[in-house]
Amino acid sequence: MRLLICIKQVPDSTTRVKVATDGRSIVTDGVTWSISPYDEYAIELALEHKDSAPDAVVSVVTVGGARAKDALRQALAMGCDDATLVTGDGADALGPLGIANALRAVVEELKPDLVLCGRQASDDDEGFVGPALAEALGWPHVSQVTRLEPDSGQLWKEVEGGHEVWKVSGGAVLTVQKSAKDPRYPSLPGIMKAKKKEIPERSVAGVEDPVKLEIVKLEPPPARGGGKIFKDGDTKAHAAELATLLRDEAKVL
Amino acid sequence: MKVWVIAEQKEGELRRVSRELAAKGATLGDLTVLRVTGEHVSAVAAATALAERATAESPDLILAGATPGGRDVAARLAAKLKRAYLSECTDLTVDGSSIEASRGMYAGKVRARVRAALPAVCSVRPNAFPLPDESSEPALADVAAGDAQGLAFVRFEPTASSGGRVPLSEARVIVSGGRGLKGPEGWPQVEALADVLGAALGASRAVTDAGWRPNEEQVGQTGKTVAPDLYIALGISGAIQHLAGMTSSKVIVAVNKDPDADIFKVADYGIVGDVFEFLPAFTDAVKRVKAAS
Repeated sequence: MRLLICIKQVPDSTTRVKVATDGRSIVTDGVTWSISPYDEYAIELALEHKDSAPDAVVSVVTVGGARAKDALRQALAMGCDDATLVTGDGADALGPLGIANALRAVVEELKPDLVLCGRQASDDDEGFVGPALAEALGWPHVSQVTRLEPDSGQLWKEVEGGHEVWKVSGGAVLTVQKSAKDPRYPSLPGIMKAKKKEIPERSVAGVEDPVKLEIVKLEPPPARGGGKIFKDGDTKAHAAELATLLRDEAKVL
Repeated sequence: MKVWVIAEQKEGELRRVSRELAAKGATLGDLTVLRVTGEHVSAVAAATALAERATAESPDLILAGATPGGRDVAARLAAKLKRAYLSECTDLTVDGSSIEASRGMYAGKVRARVRAALPAVCSVRPNAFPLPDESSEPALADVAAGDAQGLAFVRFEPTASSGGRVPLSEARVIVSGGRGLKGPEGWPQVEALADVLGAALGASRAVTDAGWRPNEEQVGQTGKTVAPDLYIALGISGAIQHLAGMTSSKVIVAVNKDPDADIFKVADYGIVGDVFEFLPAFTDAVKRVKAAS
């Protein structure tokens, strides 16, 4: 059984993202880069399977510039077996369908039984590449997966009010939602081993990228603050006053 | 211009977001509201059927609600049709041959204005467009689900605690609890307030990670991004990942013991105090205020 996880390197979730002076990109100086959080959950699901089935092979792939290699090393240090970097001029500028096409070539080469992605990358927040990769492969996809039994093909999809259990009977792309078990940290031996591993590269040259989304403008959310804060006094009295304010002033009750 | 809305139903009724989109779609052009029929329809089966029809009818713009199901079908459909996909939009304008939309990026830390050539597919957040009071139920065109490509539905496993509430993403009022509630035993009081307000329940990551509440209630990065009319944060300190997920709410109320908690920086109304003193008093006050109006 081979599981392939497609990951993306994004600014760490603790980063205070700042818009650059061009108004169309973000300031990257001083940003700490990590694996997108949902991709880490995908890695964890795959590694949990490997914990119980040691013959399983867990591979990772990313599409991006040279810096993206750090994300692959981090995944190897967590316990993934091998990593592939799809890179070259324009790798960082590929649109979602272009990325899906680049990943398809890797799937066709590595022939995994299942492909896992995060439900969305935490920079673009689109959730497009997973379904698009499934489409490029002619495979079904299941989104919001929180649990996986690769041997039986059963998987648990989070929906409003619970989980749906689905069964796949061939190749499928799963986009992974946050699940109960937090992604593991890299171990020290894992980090040492990851440093020595070769990371083969593939070129993005010639990848078809039919659709572009143009960023017209980026801006921070409107500033908030200057609210009415009751600092002292009787909490119960403030609670009663607040209810009146919400009706008469804020008009939300 | 031909506009499609992919409608979603919940318990036999058209979802509110579908009606919002139908009302918006009618202002943009020649509208068709489609419903995919079948039992336990997977996204790929829905997208296959819709893509076949789209190839025949060439809609310029396809809209779906940015619900978990709507996003899923919209993304797969856009990939099938090789069209631009604008995800989780909060506003959109169409200008001849292109569409411009507002959407969040970086888990809500940045607001983006994006543009794509038509034809395009777009998922739109609930509450992005008003629902006219007099809006009638749109006529639905049924499309039978396509091939599921070997995916088989097995069963549904409900979450124990989720009965009968509005989904978080569509709620106009959210009552959200954090570590300040000290444990799952704090929630009956939170639920009592939510009942009075007709609100959905939310939670901070600390709370879902500790298993006090199910994951699907988490607000913020790795949870849901929400923008209700009223967001009440109880015992939530306001980590940057949480703030990113709720800062677009119209009115924010925060209750926290710690006067320096970051949540107060985004609050319109804040009370520095004990959440367990606040809750019963506020629940009673809301009852009174609602009864009087």
